[in-house]
Amino acid sequence: MAQPIFPIALCALLLLSACSPPPKISRQTHPLPAGVDTARSEIGRSGGVFIDSSPGEPSTFNPLVSEDATSGGFIGLFLDSLVHNNAVTQEVEPGLAARWDIAPDNRTFTFHLRPGVLWSDGHPFSADDVLFTFQAIYDPRFPNRAAFDLSVDGQKFKVEKIDDLTVRLTTPQIYAPFLETVGGVGLLPKHELEPAFRDGTLLKSWNVSVAQKEPQRLLATGAFRLRSYQPAERIVFEANPHYWRADAQGVRLPYVDFLVTKLVKDANASTLAFATGQTDAEGLSPDNVAWIDRYASRYGFSVFNRGPSPNTGFIWFNQNPGHDTAGKPFVTPYKLAWFTDRRFRQAISHGIDRQGLVRGVLFGRGQPLWGPETPANKKWYNPNVTQYPFDPARSRALLAEAGFQIGPDQKLHDRHGNLVEFTLNSNQENQLRVNMATAFKENMRDLGITVNLSFLDFGTLVGKIQDSYDYEAGMLGLTGGGDPAGGISVFSSKGRLHQWYPNQKTPATPWEARIDQLMSDQLHTLDYPTRKKYFDEVQKIMSDESPYIYLVTANAYVGLKDRWKNIRIPPLGSLVWNLDELWTPLLTP
Amino acid sequence: MAADLLRSLLRRPAGMISACLLLLLYGAALFAPFLSPTIPSAQDLSRTYHPPTALVWQNGHLGVRLYRLVDPSTATYEPLQDQTAPLHWFSHGPAYKFFWLIPSTRHLFTVSSPATIYLLGSDATGRDVFTRLLYGAGISLSIGLIGVALTSFLGLTIGGLAGYLGGWPDTLAMRLTEFLMAVPGLYLLLALRAALSSRFPSDATFLLIVVILSALGWAGTARVVRGLVLSLRERPFILAANVIGQRPWTILFRHLLPNTFSYLIVAATLSVPGYILGEAALSFLGLGIQEPSSSWGLMLGQAQDIKIFMLNFWWLLTPGLAIILTVIAFNLLGDALRDAVDPRFRLPGK
Repeated sequence: MAQPIFPIALCALLLLSACSPPPKISRQTHPLPAGVDTARSEIGRSGGVFIDSSPGEPSTFNPLVSEDATSGGFIGLFLDSLVHNNAVTQEVEPGLAARWDIAPDNRTFTFHLRPGVLWSDGHPFSADDVLFTFQAIYDPRFPNRAAFDLSVDGQKFKVEKIDDLTVRLTTPQIYAPFLETVGGVGLLPKHELEPAFRDGTLLKSWNVSVAQKEPQRLLATGAFRLRSYQPAERIVFEANPHYWRADAQGVRLPYVDFLVTKLVKDANASTLAFATGQTDAEGLSPDNVAWIDRYASRYGFSVFNRGPSPNTGFIWFNQNPGHDTAGKPFVTPYKLAWFTDRRFRQAISHGIDRQGLVRGVLFGRGQPLWGPETPANKKWYNPNVTQYPFDPARSRALLAEAGFQIGPDQKLHDRHGNLVEFTLNSNQENQLRVNMATAFKENMRDLGITVNLSFLDFGTLVGKIQDSYDYEAGMLGLTGGGDPAGGISVFSSKGRLHQWYPNQKTPATPWEARIDQLMSDQLHTLDYPTRKKYFDEVQKIMSDESPYIYLVTANAYVGLKDRWKNIRIPPLGSLVWNLDELWTPLLTP
Repeated sequence: MAADLLRSLLRRPAGMISACLLLLLYGAALFAPFLSPTIPSAQDLSRTYHPPTALVWQNGHLGVRLYRLVDPSTATYEPLQDQTAPLHWFSHGPAYKFFWLIPSTRHLFTVSSPATIYLLGSDATGRDVFTRLLYGAGISLSIGLIGVALTSFLGLTIGGLAGYLGGWPDTLAMRLTEFLMAVPGLYLLLALRAALSSRFPSDATFLLIVVILSALGWAGTARVVRGLVLSLRERPFILAANVIGQRPWTILFRHLLPNTFSYLIVAATLSVPGYILGEAALSFLGLGIQEPSSSWGLMLGQAQDIKIFMLNFWWLLTPGLAIILTVIAFNLLGDALRDAVDPRFRLPGK
């Protein structure tokens, strides 16, 4: 067995690697498990160090505690799940479960685990680990986000062990996104974490301090295991010697020896690290693509256009008819009458120069957006939603129809003579959004509408939107993509993120009632075409009624060093989702 | 005294040049709506990050060169050969209010649509940087003057009273100044700004910043004024005033405080840059002036994006240059003033 080298030696090696070839790293060799999964990708060569950077620090390595994307990304590298979501095809694929059966009732799922899979410490992986994971998630002593995702209307799933390699999960009702949800649950090692589970300290285990002092305790079933973590410097993962995938020649994956993540100060620093050849991969924002491309040949990387990103940006009006504890309405009544008038919202939508935003603010790298899903979500996107092209004449006609008139002061007034004026709130951290807000203000001025802009810090803004409701209009974005079930809290009138009027007791309008019905129906059938039909209608209603006035979606770009092979860039999610299959013929960067 | 000061200032070239530069800047800020070819909120999304337009002399007219967008993805423009648009002097343009009162549409120079003139290029939404710089000067420069006026007033009144009255008012005032000076200013400023931000509309933040800055800044002035008054009050001319039976208030306002003016002028001049930099820092951090208003700090904050450097949009950094020039000018002027008044604290009539 090879003696592991020290992290210091490793970084020295990284520094020297530019001038001399690195010494051959010998990896531990173990027999492949009986249930080995054979990758269908091109056969590569073992070795190499993959370097990337992260502007955020992980806050924990415990999946029960993790709530942020950064921590979740690192956890996903070493903890595997029963099934995987293939980022390119958006289909569910076998993971630690080699196959599964769905009973005719569409509620009972039997998972057959891969035989012979070992944790990174050599302990066998079994059904007990699956049971332990669900036990921990459902335990009220350990409040966590997964418990909410893994229940239907507050009811838990039933988890049974059939034998050491077979687990049966039963959902209380038909639950459409079941497999996708299970695909996101990293399975925990019972033999390692059971003592913490018993004495109630499970949420304290696998924290960042453990990761620094005893990285080997973070047992892995994934392609990598943690080797070292130095806050504000770097996180080093190494190939898991017990990983359960191999290539067609029987060479154990992953091909790369080490995965090094530099921890940098902010997104600017991360972008710059890639542009100067220090890292292997980076997600790029559309406004940075032009200059980064100039360094492509010098540092041997290419910039790929992933197409539209799943991020949506929109403006909405507060349609909440309620009032605060002092009896003061959240929205001035005559303004509420405008905001709840569909023609007013559609007129605003027609008045926005989205092509101009794409051309000017996004450097031509984006497209107008008309509905809640972007084309990035190939599986669920509905291209046939109502569109609102830039047409001030049409806006004026709609406004006239709704009783608005241009007064002698060249400003728009409603039928009672009130000046049409509102304050748009947004967050100041996002410069592209600030630019869009100022452009929106100019567009509205052409219609005679006065827009005041108010930029708040993100926390204050969220407080206004979700607690105090004392605002008129907002501008934010949401990350779409994935299963429609992920959007329930936005589309459903009961939802917390149904921002124009959240937490409704009964739907305020017939179309909101219709959306509620559709969202509930799509959840309780497993048939994809039926679900797609329901969700298409939801998207159509959202564009017809325009409670959210969608703006533009930027294209997503990634930069990758040319030396990496087996790259398949998905439209959604992590850009190197198949890290275990990446290989390089050139070991020196 | 003022004439003396001016005469000694005239003998110092650095001070003279600074004074002229500052006069120029403040004049430009005052006449910003007239001097700028457009209004600061006017956007053109088809001309974002436009480079400064070249001025050419053609057919006996000053004209502006026309440009074509070659590559929208990098915002690359190239000049069109032999195509220019003539400048119109004292012509009509977007409406504005002169000194916030007199409506007018006259601008010093404009070009006819669809041509545009960007003396210092355009920003991320195609707004004219030159126009925003001029309008921004109004905010950035007046913050210094208003702030200094407020602190001088507070410092003079509180410091003068404390020094003259002595006893418990003195103790109270001095403990208060010590408290204010012990508070880490920038953090208090950030905290106050964050706490008050959601209650004030965007335009009121301007005033808010000035008030916050001066509420923190008067302590130093007050302490020095108190010290001066303490020493002056034992001088023979004050004792004489006492003896002839003048009332305390008359002594304070007629004899004591005027003698601290020479110090105040120098101190005020030297502290103006602090306010300008304070506003710039706040706006840079996104806590000061907000879009769509314009200030130098805000403009500089928006230029901290890495692509600005990498794509060489250098004209977006001109607010930084303006801040540097103003701060240097104020410091040089302050130095010259100090040299002029320092040799001795002159007494009236001497």
